[in-house]
Amino acid sequence: MANKAAWRRVWPPSAAFVVFVALWQAACDFGRVDPWILPAPSAIALRMKEDAGLLAGHLGATLQLALSGVAIGLAAGVAVAILLHLMPFVRSALSPFVIASQNVPLIALGPLLMIWFGFGLTPKLILLTLVCFFPVAWSMLAGLGRAEPHLREYLAMIGASRRDMLLRLELPASLPYLFAGLKITVTYSVTSAIVAEWLGASRGIGYYLVLKFKGYDTSAVFGAVLCIVALCLALYGLASLLEQGVVRRRLRTRPVKAGWRK
Amino acid sequence: MTREERFQLEVADVFKSYERDRRPFAVLDGVSIRVREGEFVTLLGPSGSGKSTLFRIVGGIELPDLGRVSIGGREATGTPGLISYMPQQASLFPWMTVTDNIASALEIAGVRREEARRTAREWLERIGLAAVAREYPGVLSGGMQQRISFLRALLMPRDLMCLDEPFAALDALTRTEMQGWLLRMWEAERRSVLFVTHSIEEALTLSDRIYVLSKAPARVLREIEVPFGRPRRSDVWTEPAFTELKREILDLLGKGDAHAV
Ligand SMILES: Nc1ncnc2c1ncn2[C@@H]1O[C@H](COP(=O)(O)OP(=O)(O)OP(=O)(O)O)[C@@H](O)[C@H]1O
Ligand SMILES: [Mg+2]
Repeated sequence: MANKAAWRRVWPPSAAFVVFVALWQAACDFGRVDPWILPAPSAIALRMKEDAGLLAGHLGATLQLALSGVAIGLAAGVAVAILLHLMPFVRSALSPFVIASQNVPLIALGPLLMIWFGFGLTPKLILLTLVCFFPVAWSMLAGLGRAEPHLREYLAMIGASRRDMLLRLELPASLPYLFAGLKITVTYSVTSAIVAEWLGASRGIGYYLVLKFKGYDTSAVFGAVLCIVALCLALYGLASLLEQGVVRRRLRTRPVKAGWRK
Repeated sequence: MTREERFQLEVADVFKSYERDRRPFAVLDGVSIRVREGEFVTLLGPSGSGKSTLFRIVGGIELPDLGRVSIGGREATGTPGLISYMPQQASLFPWMTVTDNIASALEIAGVRREEARRTAREWLERIGLAAVAREYPGVLSGGMQQRISFLRALLMPRDLMCLDEPFAALDALTRTEMQGWLLRMWEAERRSVLFVTHSIEEALTLSDRIYVLSKAPARVLREIEVPFGRPRRSDVWTEPAFTELKREILDLLGKGDAHAV
């Protein structure tokens, strides 16, 4: 049953993808497109196979950077969300600036961080943390304030402390929001890791990308893009699985068992 | 009978008004009620008369404009944490099992974690609900959720239970069944209860005493001693006195309406 449903969800996009690739291949084969401008899927696949070892190494480096950013961003995001939630004044004082900070383009921020912190890992981690923390912090902050009013009223009526309110209601109620933020964050993390590597690194897919661009190796560039997309999807999938494990399982509702209800 | 004369709850001359359209809107107009130890007292009043507001004041999460609340003989105006509470919606936490829901409330009331869990499990077993102990509330029927909610309120180590229209959301059949269940549970435990309902039959079936409230701004129209003994049969409605009292209360509320209009 579950398999059938999964299959029904998976096959339309799969079919679309196959058709798309086939059309692309045909266009390159019969349309005499210069491979330098648009390499055929087959050429890209071949190039990826040649560079497989190299790509895997760079992919690993990017993954490591991205995951470090997610980890730090998640921790910072949760901490900031709780802090701002508990201190409404600080929240109203700081939130315009936090939101404004999200409009600083990475392309501008990256070089600045390098001027301040050099070319090592530090500026990259800072950049990633800044990017990763925001979706987590903001959606969790929303979640903390959106706990069911009648549960809030119940806790108040039995004399729950602020701490009980946070631990027993607000935090658990904000978990779905936290995961929504996390899913956005993991995809951001990969693209920002690429930007960070692009700006200056000696390894990672971003670095590989720069290298291949400079060499006009278009099929390798496409290969790198494919790797990046795959990485994003994989991390997103992982976050979704985690979400299902933690959130959905507890909120499931099943039909009532043996007839109690009249 | 000295025990009878100790008041578990005393609400003395409570006034409360809210702001509505920039004008004061009186909700409670000098309400005084008392609950003796081990007594089941019901507030009966039309919708919007201020029953829940009175509960929030008794619960200490709202301050009266005038008047006092004392619980267990001590001043308790604006002091939360002295009562246990069963709201209209079951208000169980969807991410906790039934056992954890009960235990969590007990912990808030200061019971140690292991003891809270043990108490919850023992009681679920004792009243024949062991089968749902590990279920999440979302899978339970409305009536079952209300049983858990009642048990949660009963087990809290507090001297006064406040039940705010606990059966209003249930269908008539389940409601009657729940009234019988509550009656048996309460008669075995004999806690001090302040109960709110719209239903005259429910009030007469369950209570020792009834305060009939007027429309907002609420005053106590009459205090009625329910003459039926304990343990009470759940078919007490077949008695002639029941019908008489019901008519009396209906008249009272009708008159209250006429005043308010
Ligand atoms: N915070 C508030 N601000 C303004 N008005 C309020 C507030 N809380 C309650 N009221 C008003 O006070 C009146 C009494 O409300 P309350 O909830 O106490 O009535 P009730 O007797 O419990 O009604 P019901 O039987 O429908 O539950 C209502 O008219 C309501 O709109
Ligand atoms: Mg109410």
